[in-house]
Amino acid sequence: MAVASLPHGDALAHDDGPDQLYVETRELRLQGFLLFLVSDVVLFASFIFAYLYLRNTGQSWPPAGISRLDVAFASVNSMVLFGSGCTMHYALENWKHNNFTKYAVFMVATIVLGVMFLGGQGYEYTTLMLKDHVTWSGSGIFGASFFTLTGMHGFHVAVGVIYLTTLLLQSLHGKYTKDKYFGLTAGTLYWHFVDVIWVVLFSIFYLI
Amino acid sequence: MENRDPVVHLDRNFWIVTAIFAVLSAISVWYFGTLDFSKLQAESVTQAVQIDSLTRFLLMSSAPLFIFVIGYLVYFSVRYRARKSDPPDAIGTQIHDNHSLELWWTVIPTIFVVIMAIFSVKIWYGIEIEQPAGGIVVESIGHQWFYTFRYPNVHGEIPDAMHLELNVPVTLHVTSSDVIHSFWVPTMRIKADMVPGLINTLHFTPINPGTYKIICTEFCGTLHSEMEKQTVVIEDHAHFVAWYNGWVNKTKNLSDALPKAGAGAPVALAGGDAAAGQVLFGTKCSACHKVAPFDQKIVGPGLKGLLNDPKHPNLVDGQKATPENVAAIIQHGYTGDMGHMPDMTANQLTDKDIANLVEFLKNQK
Amino acid sequence: MAAVETVHAGGIADHVHPEPQGFVRKYIFSIDHKIIGIQYMITGFVFLVLAGLLAEVIRVQLMHANGGFVSADTYNEVYSIHGSAMVWLVVIPLATGAFGNFVFPLQIGARDVAFPWLNMISFWLFPPAGLLLFGSFLLGAPAAGWTEYPPMSLQGAPGTSMWCAAIFLVGISSTMTGLNFLVTLLKMRAPGMTFTRMPLFCWAQFATAPMSMIATTALAAALAALFMERQFGVPFFDPTKGGSPILWQHMFWFYSHPAVYIMILPVFGIISEIFPTFARKPIFGYKMIAFSSVSIALLSFMVWAHHMFTSGMAPALQLPFMVLTMLIAIPTGIKIFSWVATLWEGKIRYTTAMLFAIGFIATFTFGGITGVFLSAVPFDLHAHGTYFIVAHLHYVLVGGSLMGILAGVYYWYPKMTGRLMNDKLGHWTFWLFFIGFNGTFLPMHMLGLLGMPRRVATYDPQFQHWNQIESIFSFVMTFALLLFFANMLWSIRHGKKAGSNPWGARTLEWQIPSPPHYYNFKHIPTVFSTPYDFAEPLPYAGLEDELNDTPGPMPAAVH
Repeated sequence: MAVASLPHGDALAHDDGPDQLYVETRELRLQGFLLFLVSDVVLFASFIFAYLYLRNTGQSWPPAGISRLDVAFASVNSMVLFGSGCTMHYALENWKHNNFTKYAVFMVATIVLGVMFLGGQGYEYTTLMLKDHVTWSGSGIFGASFFTLTGMHGFHVAVGVIYLTTLLLQSLHGKYTKDKYFGLTAGTLYWHFVDVIWVVLFSIFYLI
Repeated sequence: MENRDPVVHLDRNFWIVTAIFAVLSAISVWYFGTLDFSKLQAESVTQAVQIDSLTRFLLMSSAPLFIFVIGYLVYFSVRYRARKSDPPDAIGTQIHDNHSLELWWTVIPTIFVVIMAIFSVKIWYGIEIEQPAGGIVVESIGHQWFYTFRYPNVHGEIPDAMHLELNVPVTLHVTSSDVIHSFWVPTMRIKADMVPGLINTLHFTPINPGTYKIICTEFCGTLHSEMEKQTVVIEDHAHFVAWYNGWVNKTKNLSDALPKAGAGAPVALAGGDAAAGQVLFGTKCSACHKVAPFDQKIVGPGLKGLLNDPKHPNLVDGQKATPENVAAIIQHGYTGDMGHMPDMTANQLTDKDIANLVEFLKNQK
Repeated sequence: MAAVETVHAGGIADHVHPEPQGFVRKYIFSIDHKIIGIQYMITGFVFLVLAGLLAEVIRVQLMHANGGFVSADTYNEVYSIHGSAMVWLVVIPLATGAFGNFVFPLQIGARDVAFPWLNMISFWLFPPAGLLLFGSFLLGAPAAGWTEYPPMSLQGAPGTSMWCAAIFLVGISSTMTGLNFLVTLLKMRAPGMTFTRMPLFCWAQFATAPMSMIATTALAAALAALFMERQFGVPFFDPTKGGSPILWQHMFWFYSHPAVYIMILPVFGIISEIFPTFARKPIFGYKMIAFSSVSIALLSFMVWAHHMFTSGMAPALQLPFMVLTMLIAIPTGIKIFSWVATLWEGKIRYTTAMLFAIGFIATFTFGGITGVFLSAVPFDLHAHGTYFIVAHLHYVLVGGSLMGILAGVYYWYPKMTGRLMNDKLGHWTFWLFFIGFNGTFLPMHMLGLLGMPRRVATYDPQFQHWNQIESIFSFVMTFALLLFFANMLWSIRHGKKAGSNPWGARTLEWQIPSPPHYYNFKHIPTVFSTPYDFAEPLPYAGLEDELNDTPGPMPAAVH
């Protein structure tokens, strides 16, 4: 395989097109990655089931002494995350269209928005813990399910930020070419998955 | 796929063994049809009779299935074994499938399943949905590792056997004070799990007088194996009323008030009533403790002379045998070499109850 | 005959890595699916010995109604670890990890699974999980049975958290294996190996893989929740803090019912391979057997609450679970009927593998029928939590899964080692095992219905003589297993040389040398038809060089 040189300007390094080995490997990896996401969905679904089950055991909701979650703030924070989904989409599109500068800009935007979302979540956690004294283990099933599920999601976002940063650095070093960019596809899929999970979590914690 | 299979011939031997299986099946159906389940184990409630009729049906329908499957399995295994005279590369008749046969053995079991489902639903309806009017409401609470019961107008939980009256429908609510237990009376053929924080209900009508076992079938800790109680079905109304009124009187000074969860401060012992303590001891403690010397254990040690036993100057937790330290054990429970005793919350004791119990124990010299 | 697909040029099939040479890379941290399969098998059998010893502790304790062999607390730990180990460390790894890894990539004509490195990691999560599980005895093992219902498991000894961690690890291992197998089966079949030409063992793995993937992840969630509650006091299951003990049961059984089929479907596949080979006949009703595996897998996700009929669920919910459970009897019945019909007009060769396979049908049919009994809610109200359940589950797990696994070992041992196991000793093993097994577990049905609850260290003396009989038969069964292990160990060096195809079997793995080369096939074969037509020539092309001295494929440049 030819060693790809550093991309200059808007031109990505080209190789001789994907070979049979790459095409087949890519297909395997894509399928494996999708199945990994399926089992991750099941993980979230199990905890969401647990949350809805506990919430419907006849206790008042939210439990006495705990105010409703701050929908306004969370909505803004959700917009940040969904925005990062859009920028991720454009990053990949620009890669496909050989537009390296725009790709890098959108990629950086995605990462920044991801970090902002995490910051927002941190702010929300701090407020809940300091002002409302809601904690993971001390506030009954409310604290348990809220912090477990949003924490799991936050962990996925954090992993995503690290993942996307790695991808960005790798692409700067020319690991991917116009035809061989499976890593970027996987990163995009992962990031959209994190978005979709958040839609569900937002609905069940803030809206209902 | 085109059918390449050779034409199938069923020979005389096949029909002979089939006839034998049919006869065996008929015998098994007759056997299970006339088997008297109440001889194997008494049927103490109406529901037991219903469930036994379902068991009978299940046995009668599955026995022929089992006989035919195993019969053909054994017959084919023997009949079609490769013999010494066969060439080493001999192969069987190359049959791939037979659509009508496969259709039949899909349809017939489906019909069986449908019939079985209908019959099960019918019995299920009689047990879970149809509820007899009137009768008595009893509650049973599972503890590690004993059962207690609550009756209308009887204060507190009683540790006696569950007494019931013949032909009087019972609504039994069960729950637990600690972990999951189960309430199973084999002669009733029904059970319900006793789940903390949840009330499960059984309905039944006793039809045979006698004393029957209540058994825990849900693992609940060290002494799960020993968790047993009796239920007594009494034929004579007056006899039942006497038993019932006895408990109403014995418990009339007890409170139903439930203790506050997680009580912490030491209990004030002044003004304990030994008589009330004695009744409480009977309901709360006697399942595990005797009023007898230390080494006469049931679950925990005997408690006679607890406060002035020269051989045991200290309590099981190593503290000096004083009324305050006894109260502390009752309050907080005990876990150690001697086993496990639940705390006052689990035992549903109030501070006042503890004072009464300690006063009673002081007097057991 | 369908058109032959073109062979991929320059793709994965032609991409052969050089065989690793060091002992560690070759036998310890190997990425070769065959070595990993054998590693799973050895580890699984080591755990079988340990968990089997625990079973004998149980049987010795129950020789007397008052117990006395071990204390009640120890007894509770012993059967909890026995159950957990047998399910997660023995049957699941043997049925999927061992046979799945070794056999099915060969059967579909692949050089390895899709993700060999992931496969190695999956395996290496498994022995530490076993050490954690057995190591929990040091801290006080979990004592609430293999189901670990809270609040009991919340009170449990510190080892209970180790139990959570151990099962979590095997769970991850099982999820990754499922993912790996699924991609392999979907993408790496040899040219011409369409789904309707796949050997039935592959179909069984195909039905099992998504279950391992999805259900096991759900279990991971339940275990994580239990772990968090025990270690950090995060309330999910404790009713005094607003949690629900029933929630655990839902989460646990949503996994553990499919797990029952994870344990039996691969074994169905093993039986479906052994029957045609030794009856010298095509399997009867290939399509129906394949289809029934898939429908059982689908149904298995919809029936979990039949383990909870007495736990306190709304009566209206009991009905759908009861009816769906009964429905599983239909595809299962189809399989059993098809196997029996396969024998008809065969030329049956009685090798040990075939004996175990026939024994499997007998005991599994019995266990299946008692399963239908238990699906009827009213019957379950009586039998739940008694020795009837113990009997039923051992009929399907020991008489079913384990006997199928033993059959599979006798069948594929020559492919793994190049030598045959001793057949005469095998016959003795079978009969002792079969008699010992039935003598141990058959009386338990009756004891359960008469009033013996499960998980008891002491019991009503009226049941003592039956328990003594059971214990004696269990010693026979254990002895048979010892014979089996002795046979396995002895045959590695002293067994008769097997050659490439000692059984005259027709699936792909038997057309190459025993044991197979590192790269499996010199040339990836092309497949023309199902493998079970004994009157036809083999439906493969490209295998001409397998058994001669032609060199194998040249490794590609090292990446």
